[in-house]
Amino acid sequence: MEYALSTIGSYPRPEWFRDYLRKQEGLQKDSRGVVDESYMKAVGEVLGEQRNAGIDLLTDGQLLWRNMLCHLYDNMEGFRLSGLIRYFDNNMYYQMPEVVGKVERKKSLILDEYIAACSVEKKIKPVLSCYSLVDLSRNKFYGDESEFLMDVAGVMNQEAKALADAGASIIQVDEPSLLYADKEGVEAAGEAFEVLTKGVDSSFILATYFRDAKTLYPEVLDYPFDVLGLDFVEGLDVNLNIIKEHPTKKIIQAGVVDGRTTLMENPSKVKELIDSISGLVSGEKLFLSPNTGLEYLPYVKASEKMGVLSASVD
Amino acid sequence: MSDKILPTTVVGSYPKPKWLNQLIREHSAGSIPDEVMESAYSDSIKAVVKEHELAGVDILWDGEMRRDEMTSYFADHIDGFTIYGEARVWGNNYYRKPSIVDELSYRDELTVSEYRNLRGLTEHDIKVPITGPYTIVDWSFNEHYRTKEDAIYALAEVINHELKALVKSGASFIQIDDPAIPTHLDELEIAKNSVEIATNGVEAYTGLHICYGDYSKMYPAVLDFPVDQLDLELANKGFQDISIFREHDFTKDIGFGCLDVHTKRVESVDEIKDNIRKAFEIVEPKRVYVDPDCGLKLLSSQVSFQKLTNMCKAAKELRDEL
Repeated sequence: MEYALSTIGSYPRPEWFRDYLRKQEGLQKDSRGVVDESYMKAVGEVLGEQRNAGIDLLTDGQLLWRNMLCHLYDNMEGFRLSGLIRYFDNNMYYQMPEVVGKVERKKSLILDEYIAACSVEKKIKPVLSCYSLVDLSRNKFYGDESEFLMDVAGVMNQEAKALADAGASIIQVDEPSLLYADKEGVEAAGEAFEVLTKGVDSSFILATYFRDAKTLYPEVLDYPFDVLGLDFVEGLDVNLNIIKEHPTKKIIQAGVVDGRTTLMENPSKVKELIDSISGLVSGEKLFLSPNTGLEYLPYVKASEKMGVLSASVD
Repeated sequence: MSDKILPTTVVGSYPKPKWLNQLIREHSAGSIPDEVMESAYSDSIKAVVKEHELAGVDILWDGEMRRDEMTSYFADHIDGFTIYGEARVWGNNYYRKPSIVDELSYRDELTVSEYRNLRGLTEHDIKVPITGPYTIVDWSFNEHYRTKEDAIYALAEVINHELKALVKSGASFIQIDDPAIPTHLDELEIAKNSVEIATNGVEAYTGLHICYGDYSKMYPAVLDFPVDQLDLELANKGFQDISIFREHDFTKDIGFGCLDVHTKRVESVDEIKDNIRKAFEIVEPKRVYVDPDCGLKLLSSQVSFQKLTNMCKAAKELRDEL
């Protein structure tokens, strides 16, 4: 079995960069951080941490994202931000976006961040989202929720094309909300993903986290993704069972260390988990990652966590 | 607990003076000696106490000048915690997030010295706020205990030790701040048990402050918590929660949040009087404690002072009318 180590998306900001952004943006203002010299230094540090830990497929750490996935809305037309709301079961909050007009992509969403990160390191996977964005926001414009979803998917498709043109050979789509969706939602998401991926010359990863993926099966197997990301920390037993019951040619991206606790797993225990997953998948390749982004951790603990991951496959 | 009808009080925090914030920054950068910082804390508390007295507050606290934040301040004083660094709450707002790395045990005073210091500064009644074990654990990483529940109960024992020490020092009113309780309603039973452990054998009037939650999902169950008073945030949601509390007999005293701490607008005396009257739809006036929704620390000192002044005037006028 061949292993590729990856991170999920977010990474804690270096302390000095946090202070810098705080000065730039203030504690509440809606302004958005920009790709500048300081950002380049910060992204360099975060990519360096990942490289040192032996990560093969890196992310830029989403260092400018103020609003978790909802950062993607910042540059879209049709939105405004409202009050703070809890992000899943985390002690972390985001400003709920409200859609008040037609969703459109007037400028790129994360392209500048992707290009900046690529100037430091080539093996970057940019992160988009679609169903979860719609789910995490409040619709005050569209009469029909599915129209809203399709418009967001259309914007994401344009962004994905731009990313692919800029060299992104693999793009991740984060969809934690899908794990809480009903059958109708799972089907609607499938249609949105067809739109999102259409005509994009790139591979796609679907990332899910915070719980097991039983709501997604079997529909997820028909989704246009090459890699399926599953959380084997929160959804361990169910997800092991699922991949056993539903063999697939798709590659699994297995979240095998807990991105939300400073407790460091024993690498030999993680290895046991990886072995049991390996025994259940048919392909020759397995992506391994923390189950979530690492920004839930203090900076010093994020690299330690990646260290556990790489030690487990040594 | 109070002899006065409609006693006025605060929830806890108060804006730090600008000069104190500046000194804290310089102290952490190493450019100010400890003894200067110490006297700055001490002086700032005197200023806060004076402001509260001038505003007409009956039951005081020290404005939490020494507390940077409501989790790490306690974690710093309890064995078994360590803090590796900060974690994000939202946007550019972070807090020093503790990790539980060993058995939790009592090391030194958490609030007793704050209480003693304040006792020497005012003749007024005092309320001591302390963050509840449920909230501290919920806002920490757990590396040591098998379950979150185990960690909460262990911390509740530590808090119990502190509360007993507080009573021994003369404290008669203790408020447990538990804003995390409404965020995990499936753990309400655990939260209740934690308050039970924390207050066991504590001979004082106790309150429980909960905010930012959907009260309809925790009422009337929250009446089973072993405290004398529930301190609630009501102004922030335009008092729409009143109807929830009318559905069952409210068997406790109420800390009635009648000032919105999330707006700079200073409510008028008449408006606050109307707000407080809404409490009488739930309980009789003698069970009502008048206070802001939450700590005032996010507002400016000026706005906080004006809000408190109007609140105390409103309570006084109502008291005279009753």
